[in-house]
Amino acid sequence: MSQRLKQGLLFSSLTFFVAAYLRAAENSPQTVSVKIETILASNQSGEFDSRLKALEKQLRVLKYRSYRLLKEESQNVPSQGSASFEIPGGRSLIVWLQDFRNQQVALKVRLQGGQKPLLDTTIRLPNKGNFILGGPPHDGGVLVLSISANAQ
Amino acid sequence: MKNCDSTRESLGAWLDGELDRAESEAVRVHLEGCVACKEERRQLEKLQAALKSVLDSEASRIAFPPFWSSVQQRITEKSAWREDLVDWLRSVFSGPRIAWAIPAVILLLLGVLSGDSLVSGFRNFGQRNNFASVESIDAYGRNVALLREDETKTTVIWLYQNQEGEDESTTETRPSF
Repeated sequence: MSQRLKQGLLFSSLTFFVAAYLRAAENSPQTVSVKIETILASNQSGEFDSRLKALEKQLRVLKYRSYRLLKEESQNVPSQGSASFEIPGGRSLIVWLQDFRNQQVALKVRLQGGQKPLLDTTIRLPNKGNFILGGPPHDGGVLVLSISANAQ
Repeated sequence: MKNCDSTRESLGAWLDGELDRAESEAVRVHLEGCVACKEERRQLEKLQAALKSVLDSEASRIAFPPFWSSVQQRITEKSAWREDLVDWLRSVFSGPRIAWAIPAVILLLLGVLSGDSLVSGFRNFGQRNNFASVESIDAYGRNVALLREDETKTTVIWLYQNQEGEDESTTETRPSF
């Protein structure tokens, strides 16, 4: 076998294994870190919690006067698995990781008041992106949840 | 049996011992029976002898030792990894087309096999690093609003609910977006 043919085959093999690895990595089960930031939004004062700086532009969309971070919690959710987050006011948020593909994370999210489901939603997030779930009343204002996902 | 033309074409190689056994034997047999080719051979041998005598007389004047030492040095010299890499890349790029055809076919196959990913990738291209997309919402009979705000790429799901969890008439829980 000629030297050039050997090199060609070596190069082909490397290309194949790299491509196969990348495809496997794309489709392999992922663990996704889901972060819930629980925020109290109200019109009682003009306070803006400095810990929410990264979310300020998004929160200003809601047009409340004050925003305060009540709780921040992250959990690793395995593929097809779920995680439960306690939310102030006896509520809870359950997050299922449905899919991770093309840098998009599909989550099923359930907000519960006690054992009673309040809202179910399925949402597809860009990796490291977030969405806002708000509305439940709490302590003279409303709860705003920032739900973000980071596939590792 | 060789003819004169083909014998004369092979004569130089035959004299230098470069022909294979059968070819060499065919030339020898032809030369034994052909006066013209035998004369051609004699002329060629005479020319080679003349050239050799000239080269031999000139060779003594050429300084070969420095030349050979330089050649030997270049052979034994360990080349830098960059040179090795450049040599390897050059050999790959100038290699037979099959060297590129194989990875091209592999990539094509992978592309076809992962067609669904590519299609969904193109479909989601506009959404990448952009908006979160809501696929379904069930608020169990409560009012719910969905807001997508372009400037901050924000997706908001707003559930209307009062302290008791059922009455949606209070304005305190309503955002003003």
